[in-house]
Amino acid sequence: MKTEKIVLSFIATILGLLVAGVAFFLFSAKETTPPKTKATSTVSPTPTALPSISLTLSQPKDEEVVNKKTITVSGKTRSDAVVVILTNGIESVIAPTISGDFSAQITISNGQNIIEVVAVAADGETKSIKKTVTYSEEEF
Amino acid sequence: MKKIIIIGILNIFLVSLFSLLFTNNAYSQTITQGIKEQLITNIASRVAQLRLVEKRGIIGTVTNATNTQITILDIQNNTRFVDVDELTKFSSPKLKTAYGISDITKGTTLGILGLYNKESRRILARFVNVVSVPIVVRGGVAAVDDKNFTVDIVTIDDKKLIIDIGYTTTTYSYTSSGGYIKSGFSKIKEGYSIITVGSLDPKNENKISATRVVIFPEIPYIQKTQSQNSSSQK
Repeated sequence: MKTEKIVLSFIATILGLLVAGVAFFLFSAKETTPPKTKATSTVSPTPTALPSISLTLSQPKDEEVVNKKTITVSGKTRSDAVVVILTNGIESVIAPTISGDFSAQITISNGQNIIEVVAVAADGETKSIKKTVTYSEEEF
Repeated sequence: MKKIIIIGILNIFLVSLFSLLFTNNAYSQTITQGIKEQLITNIASRVAQLRLVEKRGIIGTVTNATNTQITILDIQNNTRFVDVDELTKFSSPKLKTAYGISDITKGTTLGILGLYNKESRRILARFVNVVSVPIVVRGGVAAVDDKNFTVDIVTIDDKKLIIDIGYTTTTYSYTSSGGYIKSGFSKIKEGYSIITVGSLDPKNENKISATRVVIFPEIPYIQKTQSQNSSSQK
């Protein structure tokens, strides 16, 4: 009698679990989960024929507003090039390192300043980048 | 026997009930997690919105101006829309009288400082000033006129310009051995690479009054120009 009770209880437990499982499956099947948005990655087109002289500026940021008159101009070009940094009032000429990196501290004027960086390669080829940097202490 | 069957049915009912309660709880936890994630996304989106506006300063030439908006062509040749309101301050260094939006004409070069909205890509101007931007010319020396103190140059886009070297023009020279040193008009020779900063002569659009000149005696420009011409002819 006791064994019968145990077996019956075991079978009832299994059946109970099955009923609960089926009920949950039916319940969750009704719910539609919104599709997860996939992270999109933009693939830039493969650059065609690179120019023989390259010039990139890491600093300053274009259209940046600063509250200090001395700013850093840094970037990368061909190692044999000469870099000329022209601002509203002064120019500075520097030679990049063997790896082509260059950096210089320049003083800017009040208001908007156009900073033009020109790289002149040994073969005469030039490339330039213009950036606007504004000196202002105005709060708005 | 009847008793055992009743106990069995009761057991099935109880186990089903407890299992359902447990799974439901787990499911509601998943839903709560979903709401939590949604809230985080919403908060992040609001924070991003607040960060949409930043201070920016631009320079450009006016292409159109109304009472509330100025359209300019910036130094990268992009069309920019600038909004003006009652808080926008206008100034022109050449004028002693008050300067306002109605004084802005097509072709004027303006320096604009304001709040840039990254979403609308418009600037709400706070300060609008009339500025003069110097011209930077790169090229090679084609001829030197000792009598008139002018230098004919060929620019990188094959334009021929006359550079007027005055008393106030500062001339520098750069060589790998000598570095960056002060130079003069007499040191400018045909074939040198040259960078000139100045302003356009109002009487002659092909003439530039130089304020600064940098010459590169070691970098022959003419050869480069010739090779470019010959390759373009092909």
